[in-house]
Amino acid sequence: MEIQPGEQAATEPPDLGAGGGDGRPPHVAGAQETRPEDRLTLLLRLRAQTKQQLLEYKSMVDASEEKTPEQIMQDKQIEAKIEDLENEIEEVKTAFEMKKLALDRMQLSIALKKNLEKINPQTSVLMDNMKHILNLNKLIMKSHQESWDLEEKLLDVRKKRLQLKQASESKLLEIQTEKNKQKDDLALMENSDKIKAINQNLQMEIQITTVIQHMFQNLILGSKANWAEDSALKEIVLQLEKNLTMM
Amino acid sequence: MSVLRPLDKQPGLNTATILLVGTEDALLQQLADSMVKEDCASELRVHLARSLPLPSSVNRPRIDLIVFVINLHSKYSLRNVEESLHHVDATFFLGKAAFLATGAGRESHCSIHRNTIMKLAHTYRSPLFFCDLEIESFRATMAQRLVRVLQICAGHVPGVSALNLPSLLRSSETPAPEDQ
Repeated sequence: MEIQPGEQAATEPPDLGAGGGDGRPPHVAGAQETRPEDRLTLLLRLRAQTKQQLLEYKSMVDASEEKTPEQIMQDKQIEAKIEDLENEIEEVKTAFEMKKLALDRMQLSIALKKNLEKINPQTSVLMDNMKHILNLNKLIMKSHQESWDLEEKLLDVRKKRLQLKQASESKLLEIQTEKNKQKDDLALMENSDKIKAINQNLQMEIQITTVIQHMFQNLILGSKANWAEDSALKEIVLQLEKNLTMM
Repeated sequence: MSVLRPLDKQPGLNTATILLVGTEDALLQQLADSMVKEDCASELRVHLARSLPLPSSVNRPRIDLIVFVINLHSKYSLRNVEESLHHVDATFFLGKAAFLATGAGRESHCSIHRNTIMKLAHTYRSPLFFCDLEIESFRATMAQRLVRVLQICAGHVPGVSALNLPSLLRSSETPAPEDQ
């Protein structure tokens, strides 16, 4: 086992000063007149003590209610809880700092007020500083406002540009779709069967006409008539030059 | 009971109990005498112990403040205190524990560096007092201080609780404990 430590208790009530008006509990040895004021003081003191001790116990109880659960939690949950607690601590710290700052500000303003009441407010350097501060603040606010307006204008211009861009984009898209449609229509037309049939008929007619022409030409040449004099015959013969298939 | 817990007993009416833990019996006795001589409205009880754990056979009142006395001249006292620290519940270090280093006046006899003690106090977030307990006047002053702190820890001062003490008693040398 461990070393048995020696323990001594030294108990002594406070000094029995002659004028020491601290009341002592009556069961302590030493006959002393406990005047009623002393008893009252003692009671009041005991009341304050008990209040404070109660407060301490209460706060401990409140603090221990926040105990982490005993059951096995997953690592992630524990980490999340740790993060939450750390965030809480940070928030409480910052709140505390803010409150301290606010208190300092309040104290400062009260001290300032008292100081101002004492000295002549018209001639002090403090008033000059304050006026200067006010002017600067006004300037700051004005320039803030101006910069805000300029930013608004800039924003409007940008918005308009964006709108125009979008409009042009849509127009170009429309043009493109129209062109594509035209191309498609053309291709469609070219591939349609009707056209093909018409084409074929056309070719046939052209060939028939060519054959008939050649026939007429050969007839005229074969008839040994003078075709150079008659203009109509001349025309028919000279059509040999033109090749109809290439028309 | 092998571990000292604060607040596990009901407080005595108008009573404040302090426990002095240290190896230097003579110094502890002298300090106890000076404390008891102090003018205090509440009833003081001073318990002395060489080391913890305390024997559970004794019926003792609720301990409000533990002061670990370390003699800078002997490494044994430091080791003793460090071992005793294990037998104290963690909630004690919320203001109800303090360290007292004695013997810093005679620099040549010091075998423990100041920084060791300061680090120890910083680890436990507890206030650290330096006092040469051998010199009468210093001892009286320290006794006065301890009595005030004891009154706060026992709850006899309305409006101040032991929880305020770590932040109030921080000197300019000790840095504020920051999270790592």
